[in-house]
Amino acid sequence: MPARRFLAPTAVFAAVAMIWWLAGRAGWTNAYLLPAPSAVVAALSDLAVSGILLKHTLISLQRVLLGFALSVALALPLAVLMSASRLARVVLDPLLEFIRQVPPLALIPLLILWLGIGEAQKLGIIVLASFFPVFLGFRGGIAGVDPKLIEVGRVAGLTRREILTRIVLPSALPELVVGLRISLGYSWRALVGAELIASSAGLGYMIIDAENLARTDIVLAGILVIGAIGLLSDLVLRLAVSRAFPWLSADLEATHA
Amino acid sequence: MLELIDASRHYDVAGRAVRALDGVRELFPAGSITTVVGRSGCGKTTLLRLLAGLTEPSSGEVRRAPSHSVGIVFQEARLMPWLDVAANVAFPLKGRLSDVDIAARVDEALTLVGLAEARRALPVQLSGGMAQRVAIARALAQQPDILLLDEPFSALDAFTRRSLQRVLIDIWSARRPTVVLVTHDVEEAVLLSESVVEMEAGRVVGRVTVDLPFPREATDPAVVDHRRSILARLVGGTDPVTQTIHSRRKQ
Ligand SMILES: Nc1ncnc2c1ncn2[C@@H]1O[C@H](COP(=O)(O)OP(=O)(O)OP(=O)(O)O)[C@@H](O)[C@H]1O
Ligand SMILES: [Mg+2]
Repeated sequence: MPARRFLAPTAVFAAVAMIWWLAGRAGWTNAYLLPAPSAVVAALSDLAVSGILLKHTLISLQRVLLGFALSVALALPLAVLMSASRLARVVLDPLLEFIRQVPPLALIPLLILWLGIGEAQKLGIIVLASFFPVFLGFRGGIAGVDPKLIEVGRVAGLTRREILTRIVLPSALPELVVGLRISLGYSWRALVGAELIASSAGLGYMIIDAENLARTDIVLAGILVIGAIGLLSDLVLRLAVSRAFPWLSADLEATHA
Repeated sequence: MLELIDASRHYDVAGRAVRALDGVRELFPAGSITTVVGRSGCGKTTLLRLLAGLTEPSSGEVRRAPSHSVGIVFQEARLMPWLDVAANVAFPLKGRLSDVDIAARVDEALTLVGLAEARRALPVQLSGGMAQRVAIARALAQQPDILLLDEPFSALDAFTRRSLQRVLIDIWSARRPTVVLVTHDVEEAVLLSESVVEMEAGRVVGRVTVDLPFPREATDPAVVDHRRSILARLVGGTDPVTQTIHSRRKQ
């Protein structure tokens, strides 16, 4: 089965590449607007050999990991606090709900004014984009804890704190993981968006720079790399989760973020 | 001390007041073993929940020595899905005993319910009856002063049920916790108790002392007699099964 699980998706990718190639050969597409797969692969290997690709990828990766980590570090305690305290909910919910409604891209001009066009601005955008899926996922998970399990803890004489750490948080984990996966994806999208607008390095910058030079092959190569890294990071996250929490494996199979 | 003093528990179900428990006065002497029988919905679980302190009475009082620990087997297994069998059994003990003591208790309890082999399994990998036995092991491992059981053997085959009934009697004889066991199986009630509390519509309608030595056999004529007389009183002359058939025919 594992072989088939790997083979089938590969075949789909191959088929798409095939159609792409055929479309070019048959003259349906303009070779300048949509270069052939071979041209993109050539551009990719040039970029790889020259070290340019690695440089931009590492910069983007670093920003995403930092921003994602910052989001998680903010979201987890805040979700616990707001689940535990009515006061916190009353005070913070409207503000958070307001921020959630504003697309992070709409805040880019403001962030540029406040934070400049350096790393802080990029981290800001990533945090804005990736905070809510983790936060809401974790809160939802906490709210969805089975009250029957809490009763097991109460009869056993567990304190409020023990009930939180030993029952509520573990049972919120599946939804938290879904939130983490969505957040990681959003981090990538937001980052590339931020790099397209104002940046001098990173995969988003590499793409926009290639567009200015009319190098569509590099644009496509950049897109491929971004997609591949996104796919890969989700895979790594899922693997790490199913290693650490074997009982979640079934859930991971069922949810596709 | 475990006592209900004119305890009532009312629920509001869609605007209608349901008297799940209606003025129950009942003493469960320390070290006694009592079973509670009655039809579905008569308030057996509600009575256990009051004894466990999981709900407060709407009126009346529940008295329980504050120093007494409570172990409960719920009507459903209620296992933590993220913990394996051994960790579920250890759950109430974590942080209360040393790891060595916990391991010993878990081993003992799992052996008693016949699940020593399944200690590394996750709850999703268990059958319904296995899950219920893990829940029983979890309560036994606590070695509580008060042991409450809500139809603990209902998901088990007759053979496993018999052996776990014996385990319960052995444990009760050895450690003498105060046991209250809910069942809808009158034979089980007679086999497992010093006295049988009969409930109907939230009230206690009878208490029968079963003065026979343990362990008891279902085939013992004295057991059969007790069973027959309790059943006769509970059913009140009308057999609920034929009653259902009649009312269906009318429709
Ligand atoms: N949390 C609740 N909210 C509303 N009504 C409840 C609640 N718990 C119990 N009841 C009602 O109280 C009555 C007694 O319920 P209880 O669970 O004690 O019955 P039981 O004797 O344990 O039944 P069974 O043998 O089917 O388990 C029922 O009418 C039920 O609908
Ligand atoms: Mg019940």
